[in-house]
Amino acid sequence: MFYRLTGVYQTDYAKDRALWPIPTDRWIALLLLAIAIAAPFIFQVHYVANYMLPWLIWSSAALALTLLMGVAGQLHFGFAAVMAIGAYSSIHLARFGVPFELALLGAGLISAVIGSIFGAAALRVKGLYLVMATLAMQYLVDWVIVNVPAISGGAQATLRTPDVSFLFIPLESVWLYYMALLWTVVVTLFVLNIKRSSYGRALVAVRDKDYAASIIGVSPFRYKLSAFFTSSFIGGISGAILAFCYYQAVTPEQFGFHVSIQLVAMVLVGGLGSVVGAYLGAGFVLLLPMILTNFVAGLGAMGILNVSASLLAHIPLMAYGALIIVFLLAEPLGLAKIYDNTRKYFLVWPFRHGQS
Amino acid sequence: MSENDSVTREPILVCDQVSRWFGGLQATKSISLSIERGEIFGLVGPNGSGKTTLVNAITGFYPPQEGRIEFEGNPIQHLKPYRVAAHGIARTFQNVALFRGMSVLDNILLGRHILMRPSAIASLFYWWMAQKEEIAHRRKAEEIIDLLQLESVRNESVDVLPLGLQKRVELARALCAEPRFLILDEPMAGMNQEEKEYMVRFILDAQEALGLSILLIEHHMDVVTAICDRLMVLNNGQKIAAGKPQDAINEPAVVAAYIGKTDHAA
Ligand SMILES: Nc1ncnc2c1ncn2[C@@H]1O[C@H](COP(=O)(O)OP(=O)(O)O)[C@@H](O)[C@H]1O
Ligand SMILES: [Mg+2]
Repeated sequence: MFYRLTGVYQTDYAKDRALWPIPTDRWIALLLLAIAIAAPFIFQVHYVANYMLPWLIWSSAALALTLLMGVAGQLHFGFAAVMAIGAYSSIHLARFGVPFELALLGAGLISAVIGSIFGAAALRVKGLYLVMATLAMQYLVDWVIVNVPAISGGAQATLRTPDVSFLFIPLESVWLYYMALLWTVVVTLFVLNIKRSSYGRALVAVRDKDYAASIIGVSPFRYKLSAFFTSSFIGGISGAILAFCYYQAVTPEQFGFHVSIQLVAMVLVGGLGSVVGAYLGAGFVLLLPMILTNFVAGLGAMGILNVSASLLAHIPLMAYGALIIVFLLAEPLGLAKIYDNTRKYFLVWPFRHGQS
Repeated sequence: MSENDSVTREPILVCDQVSRWFGGLQATKSISLSIERGEIFGLVGPNGSGKTTLVNAITGFYPPQEGRIEFEGNPIQHLKPYRVAAHGIARTFQNVALFRGMSVLDNILLGRHILMRPSAIASLFYWWMAQKEEIAHRRKAEEIIDLLQLESVRNESVDVLPLGLQKRVELARALCAEPRFLILDEPMAGMNQEEKEYMVRFILDAQEALGLSILLIEHHMDVVTAICDRLMVLNNGQKIAAGKPQDAINEPAVVAAYIGKTDHAA
């Protein structure tokens, strides 16, 4: 119908490799961006600040992890620790008087360096052992933060973010949202560009077949390490943005092991290596528990669900876990695959099957 | 191709007493050979005779425990495979080694890796730092696609292609690196007569277009005698004959080796 491949012919190589070669995809992307920009004017503050804002930031973190796990094929079960390093570094740098722009960059670099040191150690091993090595990172970083008061912010172990401004705009109220939006847009373009350039192809090559990659001149070790670096850089800054734009006061638990697992869930539920999937996965993992909790609480209040308060609190968690399992069994390739199938359905309509 | 000009040619690849063991098994036994610039050098022998092992020694996957390998006068026997590629050596694998999730085009573009400057920074600033390079290399890749007549499958995922086409895509990926030396490990295995003839045509076209020297491992004797300038025959890791194709395959030791082993791929 309106979503057509027919009649779309690329006449030069640049257009063939455009971010969205099909006009309808381009319009959808622009429409979503327009909605995101207009959100503070069209939705209630409550929804923007408590749902859209964290969704955007977690999407950027999920994009970082999907770059590492999906595109480059390296498992990471301690990614929350990478974000913690970014969050704490940026806060301390900003408190030290470093301009926020540079503090973000510094936070990214510190996370990238530490992330790739663990990556280098982890690369000596594969599969399950890689999982263990990244878990070790999680616990080591947690331990250091908790046990070094200079990092965690003393006995209370909460650290408030100082007031900062970004490009001369003080970061407060609606600008917190726009900062998060800007970062997520940058990360999205970054990952999309990686996937269409020689760097991304080399990462995928190493993931798919490392000996075939080396025979065409790709050093597997170098590219795996580089994937850890790039992904940790993005993850670190996402952690910093999360701290400054959402939490505003950070504690070590906000970046604990369970958060790493949530990040992995976002990537898996969304679909490994998919940009759309990172958004969908982050939305699913982040928003579904909130919605379920409200729903179950609503049922309880209406007297439909007559059970004890503690059980009431656990029902959303159980439903959520069950949903993730059902979901991964039904569509192991994730939400992105479902999106892709729907898109293809319209692309080739009225035919049932087609390519691209 | 004639006797006379081979005298003036310099060697491009020299193996000197190359040996490789796997545990107690010696897969190549002191193999020496010299391949001249511009020639097609055939390597034949029954299954398990050590042909692939020799190629793996040259390309750095299983470095020889003894012996020297020189490429254009430089020792390469201790280089990692990705360093060997940078020297201008490309190869295909006996069992096709394509990147399965990727399109034909992306596989072929990957062949240009050593000629590009991939980096995360360049990807971040794609429009200013990467786009021009991507387009220039796409143009080169299209030349190879043209040469090997792969236009119609350019955007297909490689795993849906029949084996014959996959082998052709792998050849395209190898050629895309603009190598000076190409190693083909059984490029026609599992092909029917028509596909074989196509492949021979493509190999000769590529050699002419790019001025390649080629090391060809092949079981089909008709192909080997038709296109190879010289030949070496291995059996049980040992050189049993060498020279002009017709002469080499008629040597008694070679005939015996092949009759002794009936299982060599037809
Ligand atoms: N990676 C390896 N590990 C152990 N043995 C090997 C390995 N590669 C080859 N071989 C052995 O070396 C011998 C030669 O094999 P190969 O070089 O593949 O023969 P060809 O290519 O001539 O068929 C065979 O006996 C094979 O089993
Ligand atoms: Mg072999």
